[in-house]
Amino acid sequence: MTAVIGAPRLSRRIGEGAFLTFCWLATGIAILALAAILWSLLSQGIGGLDLDIFTKSTPAPGSEGGLLNAILGSLMMCIVAMIGAVFIGVLAGTWLSEFARDSQYGKVIRFLNDVLLSAPSILIGLFIYEILVAPLGGFSGLAGSVALALIAAPVITRTTEDVLRLQPIALREASVALGAPVWSTILTVIWKAAQGGMLTGALLAFARISGETAPLLFTALNNQFLSLDMTKPTANLPVVIFNFALSAYDDWRRLAWAGALLIAATVLTVTIVARILAREPRRS
Amino acid sequence: MNAQLDNPPETAVLELPPEVVKLAIKDLSFFYGQKQALFDVSVSFAANAVTALIGPSGCGKSTLLRVLNRMYSLYPGQRAQGQVLLDGEDMLSPRVDVATLRARVGMVFQKPTPFPMSIFDNVAYGVKLYEKLSKAEMANRVEDSLRRAALWDEVKDKLKESGLSLSGGQQQRLCVARGIAVKPEVLLLDEPASALDPISTARLEETIAELKRDYTIVIVTHNMGQAARLSDHTGFMYLGKLIEFGETEQLFTNPVTTRARDYITGRFG
Repeated sequence: MTAVIGAPRLSRRIGEGAFLTFCWLATGIAILALAAILWSLLSQGIGGLDLDIFTKSTPAPGSEGGLLNAILGSLMMCIVAMIGAVFIGVLAGTWLSEFARDSQYGKVIRFLNDVLLSAPSILIGLFIYEILVAPLGGFSGLAGSVALALIAAPVITRTTEDVLRLQPIALREASVALGAPVWSTILTVIWKAAQGGMLTGALLAFARISGETAPLLFTALNNQFLSLDMTKPTANLPVVIFNFALSAYDDWRRLAWAGALLIAATVLTVTIVARILAREPRRS
Repeated sequence: MNAQLDNPPETAVLELPPEVVKLAIKDLSFFYGQKQALFDVSVSFAANAVTALIGPSGCGKSTLLRVLNRMYSLYPGQRAQGQVLLDGEDMLSPRVDVATLRARVGMVFQKPTPFPMSIFDNVAYGVKLYEKLSKAEMANRVEDSLRRAALWDEVKDKLKESGLSLSGGQQQRLCVARGIAVKPEVLLLDEPASALDPISTARLEETIAELKRDYTIVIVTHNMGQAARLSDHTGFMYLGKLIEFGETEQLFTNPVTTRARDYITGRFG
């Protein structure tokens, strides 16, 4: 009796052990890679992080300077992009979840959104270049915002649809059973129940676009000077990092590292906040 | 033993005297797309009484309930045929505004469904859809509803807290309070105790027994003891048909039809 049970147990244990080992190994490699990236960023970037970064604009080689224009430009473009992307993404996600859940039309839109979600960002940059930058005759921060919004919107659409679908049908019916119209049910009950998840989606989209370089090369380009005019070329961290990191000047490369550290820290913070919000979506 | 045993009828539906009828269903058929779920159901529910609907899973009792407040109209492909007369007026007529109907016919669901807002706002939510009340009036309405649902004493000091912070049984009574806050005439309860523990169930049953003084109550339940304890009339359904309807005591002690007898004595179901 025991022998019969014992025999497969041994092989099972070996199988399980091997499987677990591979899982640990794979996890270890991933974490190690992340740690290596963070370490090189920290060790090389921390030296360049001083007050000048936030108070002075990008310098000519050999002179003193910081990243103020790039930080401000990035912030402006990301915020404008997020306003557009949240507006489109939340409404599109709501439509997909609440009004087109099983319709053919909804399925097609969902599929196209997924295609857009995984489109290479350089293509989106080129697309905006073709339809906005070239015809209007110049690079601009607004064109950069549109490109970034085009990257963020599908992310928000997807996450919004996913968290809205998680809300129980019974919650919708309970509100409708009180005589509430569908639109007010969505606005006051379903969005409220899903707000943590929706905010998480928006934050993840923000994290995604805050490091995008390729679409900005074709749209916002860069600007050596501090400028709040978004109809003109606008400085931004990713492109500055790209230019400075490849340069021959030590002080430029130092700034590139500092900028990279800044973006990484922002993305990390935003992601952690998103995680915390996602964990407690229900308490109001 | 009983003369009916020799030749029991297929169906036996008690006709209530018209003066006690609040809600009457006439020749109701219901379809989920191509599939018919209810077959020519005719039955009346008395005012200020509890009517229980029992029957095996899938017999159509929840479907019947969902016709009464036109909940099915949310879903394309579902349709009803026949009449649902509330005080003599056909509620299935397209002329009847669905929001008005739902204000008159409230519903409590199987699982507690508190909204993600404060206890106070949960109760006030429905009221705001129909009435513009002053702050004091609204506070009164919320208190009154919570008292009727036997929840006031437990939540009066934490009305600002989330409705989700309550226990399952409290959440369900909150849903009852929310339902009666809009002052409906009929209250539909779809297995309201199936997700509750025995103590919470007992409290909810007390609440329902209290509520019947002011409302016409229709309750769908799997629990036959609950139907026997709570209701004045009971309907037994099977495969989309109403097989037997009568006084609860009569139906549980001396059912007329073979199907109801088999179900109640536990031979199937």
